[in-house]
Amino acid sequence: MRTFLSLAFRNIFRSRRRTLMMLLVVAGGVSALLLAGGYFSYIFWGFRETTIRNGVGHLQIFNARYFDHDETRVLENGLVGFDGVRKMAEATPHVTGVAPRIEFYGMVSNGQKSGTYMGTAVVPAAERKMHFVPDILKGRWFNLQGSESEVIVGAGLARSMNVKPGDGLTLLAVTADGALNGIDVDVVGIITTHFKELDDRLLQMTLPAAQRLLQTDRVTKLVVGLDNTDNTKAVRAVLTARLAGSEPRVILKDWQELSPMYKQIVLMFGGILAFMGVIIFFMVVMSSSNTMMMAMFERTREVGTMLAMGTPRGWVVTLFVLEGVLTGVLGAAAGLLAGNGIAAILNRAHIQLPPPPGNSTGFPLRIFHVPEYMVLASILVVLTLAAASIPPAWRASRLKVVEALSHV
Amino acid sequence: MVALENVSRRFPMDHQFVSALDGISLSLDAGEFVAAAGPSGSGKSTLLNLIGCIDQPTSGSIRIDEVETRRLSPAQLSELRRRKIGFVFQTFNLIPVFTAFENVEYPLLLQRVAGPERRARTREALESVGLGARAGHRPDLLSGGERQRVAVARAIVHRPALVLADEPTANLDTNNATQLIDLMRALNRQLGVTFLFATHDQRLLDHADRVIRLCDGRIVTDSTKETGNENLSFARL
Repeated sequence: MRTFLSLAFRNIFRSRRRTLMMLLVVAGGVSALLLAGGYFSYIFWGFRETTIRNGVGHLQIFNARYFDHDETRVLENGLVGFDGVRKMAEATPHVTGVAPRIEFYGMVSNGQKSGTYMGTAVVPAAERKMHFVPDILKGRWFNLQGSESEVIVGAGLARSMNVKPGDGLTLLAVTADGALNGIDVDVVGIITTHFKELDDRLLQMTLPAAQRLLQTDRVTKLVVGLDNTDNTKAVRAVLTARLAGSEPRVILKDWQELSPMYKQIVLMFGGILAFMGVIIFFMVVMSSSNTMMMAMFERTREVGTMLAMGTPRGWVVTLFVLEGVLTGVLGAAAGLLAGNGIAAILNRAHIQLPPPPGNSTGFPLRIFHVPEYMVLASILVVLTLAAASIPPAWRASRLKVVEALSHV
Repeated sequence: MVALENVSRRFPMDHQFVSALDGISLSLDAGEFVAAAGPSGSGKSTLLNLIGCIDQPTSGSIRIDEVETRRLSPAQLSELRRRKIGFVFQTFNLIPVFTAFENVEYPLLLQRVAGPERRARTREALESVGLGARAGHRPDLLSGGERQRVAVARAIVHRPALVLADEPTANLDTNNATQLIDLMRALNRQLGVTFLFATHDQRLLDHADRVIRLCDGRIVTDSTKETGNENLSFARL
């Protein structure tokens, strides 16, 4: 077997130029898959972490009725007396913080113009502990205590209301009792979530201010932050068990359930990557099988000699398939080197990409080095080359010895 | 050891059949040094191909060590060639990426001979053809004569009963051809291997114990050196 392996290896380098061309095709395919896969992984990661950091958090705890019953009044299905639940969640390993939030809608006016806003009431200290501070464009975010008159507005809403830090706004909202209430607030900062639709409506205020506006002591939910997104599943399992008998009865949702768009994006990019894989597969198969068939024709007399000496036909098949596999291994190695090298260069080039549809800011081009894709791309090309070598291998093994020996 | 009985081989060509061998009968005994001679197209190579089991007769019977080759499957024929037959080709047909040593070692690999014994026998075969010092060279670094000697070493390394050589001296100069003939003759005597070669090289014919002359696919004469007797096949027909 060792001699056969050695023979296969040496056969690969008989025609160096041809082998080099084939290796270039294979390595190009592998590096293209790695670069696309690494870029998509960065997109997935970026979208995931942006979703989480923009306030979705890793897990959210709701009143058990929240998703099953429509609210006829504001915060009717909110959490009340949630302190025990919060403490239990905070005591769970990997949990970095628990932040109560209220989500509500209302009208905003600058005295000349009115519009709608999507309000989020936060506890600044809790949000800051979990690093859920959005990107500040102008001014500042809340102080740790958070004054009740301070608000932060999204970039689009600030533009629409023509306000900057230091300007005042009037907020109106329907209270828990169904009445209309209003407060005057000061804009202290302008933020971006990187999602244009959100930035056009977003307004953040402190939890006591919102509870005063809405005339309630309830919250919409508790947002749980973790030390690492990868721990989400495990923590959810622990928390579900711990909160099973708690009062009020609660329900847990993770960030993926709360962001169905993430799943759709992953599916879409996954489909693109698979399509690329299929194209590369056919590209490699077409070019390499043609090259290997040419190599087989050139070695017809040699194969005839081997068969004349009593080489089993299965060995001839094995030899050609081995050559295909070895070419695949060399191509994969070259592709891994090239792909990771190009990725490293691009990552250091600090290339800025334009904002994707629905986003308000551009983002840097980054390509992750994903071991899973390296393994998958390598296996794909090795199997592809092995498959491409089967037709010439089969043809070589079926040669008529006398005809092969007289081949010119 | 080899017996052909009324063997014919026809090839289809332009909607008709051309007869390369026509009712050949002959036998080869162990240790013979036999030449098949005749002009181009007389059927020498076809005869060697049939005896070498790389081609099958259209009719007739070929027996090697009492085994009827037509009854063997391709895999069994392959096994027969591997064990009992060695080939020497006009154009050497060495594996170009193998060294001389590896080329000679190859038939033993096919027989799955264990490593130390395989290497020892390979060295012995190379030394027997005077190429012990050139073992590590690839064929492209060897002269024509050396290549053919490697081919001879490859043909005898697995101790076959029969070596078939098709025009072994055709691509060699006089000096190398003479050396090769002497070498094959010596190996024939030393190892008792039967040699059958197709040739029209008079130098080789002069060294043969027996010369089978062919013409148009038939044996014209079958004469031995010692007796000078000629078996006139035509006369029998």
